[in-house]
Amino acid sequence: MWKEIPLQRPGQWPAGVRLPIIVSVHHQSEEAAVMFPDGQADPFDYSERQYGGRCGAWRLLEILDRHGVRGTWIICGATVEKYPQISRAVLQAGHAVAGHTYEHEMMCNYPPDRELRLIKKTICVFEDILGVRLRGWRTCFASHNTIDLLLEHCNFEWDASIWNDDLPYMIEGHGRRLLEIPFSSYSDAAWAIQITNPMPPTPYGTWHSNPPEFMLRALTAQFDALYERGAERAVLMPLTVHDFIVGRPSRSSVLDAFIGYAKQHEGVVFATHDQVSEWWLRNYDGHEPVGHKQRN
Amino acid sequence: MATEIEPLSDADWPAGVRLPVALTFEHQSGEGAPLLPGDRPNAMIGGAMQYGARTGIWNILELLDEFNIQATFLVCGATAERYPDAIRAACKAGHEIAGMSYSFDRVRTMSTERERGVVLRTMKALQEVCGATIKGWRCPDYRISPQTLDILSEEGFVWDSSLLNDDRPCLFECSGGKIVELPFTTSTADKTFIGYPYPIRSTPDGLEGIWSSEFDVLYRESARACRLLVLSIQTWVTGRPAPLRSLRRFMQRLVQYNDVQFARCHDIALWSSARALSEKRS
Repeated sequence: MWKEIPLQRPGQWPAGVRLPIIVSVHHQSEEAAVMFPDGQADPFDYSERQYGGRCGAWRLLEILDRHGVRGTWIICGATVEKYPQISRAVLQAGHAVAGHTYEHEMMCNYPPDRELRLIKKTICVFEDILGVRLRGWRTCFASHNTIDLLLEHCNFEWDASIWNDDLPYMIEGHGRRLLEIPFSSYSDAAWAIQITNPMPPTPYGTWHSNPPEFMLRALTAQFDALYERGAERAVLMPLTVHDFIVGRPSRSSVLDAFIGYAKQHEGVVFATHDQVSEWWLRNYDGHEPVGHKQRN
Repeated sequence: MATEIEPLSDADWPAGVRLPVALTFEHQSGEGAPLLPGDRPNAMIGGAMQYGARTGIWNILELLDEFNIQATFLVCGATAERYPDAIRAACKAGHEIAGMSYSFDRVRTMSTERERGVVLRTMKALQEVCGATIKGWRCPDYRISPQTLDILSEEGFVWDSSLLNDDRPCLFECSGGKIVELPFTTSTADKTFIGYPYPIRSTPDGLEGIWSSEFDVLYRESARACRLLVLSIQTWVTGRPAPLRSLRRFMQRLVQYNDVQFARCHDIALWSSARALSEKRS
């Protein structure tokens, strides 16, 4: 159990920041491939997703680099193991990283002890292969235990797993504090393709995809609305892209065009979850650090 | 068991070629239509697909001829037997005829021997119709089985194009030799966007924009890395007059680039693997 710690006054961003945008790159390669009832991965779905680890992630890294944008790479433990070069290049380029479960397990289907084991396993992979102690977490398909497990057993500063608010909020429980930085359904998994269907793809054998400009229009609408609100109150734009979705050439132009458009606006700042977390904590009296007390 | 050796990042394109483009036309006449309950044939959807075999392919051949471009047709053996004239015409015009099973047979869970039977029957059907010995393959529904590449290598194939996981050709070591994989994508496929009864998500113009932006990104990247553009096109979708105009405009744009080369998959596979194979031998 946990409780929320309310702000004593309306939250603010640092001076000059009108709209922070957090680009989250989900780097999960083939981890979430659909399984047929016979226990075999769907070769079509597997291959489509594997593109993300082999090619798409590199393209997204290059686009962010070209724009001078740093985001948060949300990475599965197994993906770090299979494609370590890309994770190293991500760190080298100054992006933040966060854990995204081990093999993209749908945690809503797991008992708490197994969920915790998978969280710990992922934390270890980041430490062993990349030498990184994770500051943040985004689960896959949150369970009713996820937040309690993070508070009780882990040392994360922030979590970004829940879609329930426009702004970060602090929670406290099991003797720890954690900043929840909610994300949004304005992501490529919602607007570019339909992959949430838990059943194998249709007998026709293709994903349901929207044309790239469809997603660009949705992102632009979201941006315009938030930018307008940002003139009078704190707002935040989370933007999620996947290595195997927007990493495809034709769809990558969406991210490229969107960043180009957003950058033209004064007060728009691309930030990582780590940065946003540090900024938002200043809204709490005493600026208490959350999670662990010391960072290396 | 087929194992990947490496993506062919140093594929040796012919002098002056920066980005090869493979138009791969998937050709069936309703064999792949989903069955009605009780495993009854679906005449409505099957009929929509027959359009490609009766009419669409002829429209496409005319367009390719107009541009003097060679492409690849991935053909079901049964379709070739039912509509042999178009396959003969395609072969005669210098296009590559490759296989896409006999009757849209889904091989994912087939035994090795049954799957081999599908491959051999398709080879025989296409050989009898147009005289060509096929060297390339794409699995129906893009669902490869664990033994597909091994079977292909044992039956003398050179390339496969059933995977969707890369922008570069990849080399596989298989039980019967090497197979070049030419990955493609459904993210630019006509049937993903405008192929009713698949969900309609765009328009013929929109599809042209998707092809175009795919090309733009790959062309830009091909300045410094190996890239390959493979488009998956259904004769029953883009063979219709409106998308055909989109394809014409797309081709009109590409032929203006001197370093973009439309090519058959077999040629691309040989270019891709030439260097890797000679290094392995030396």
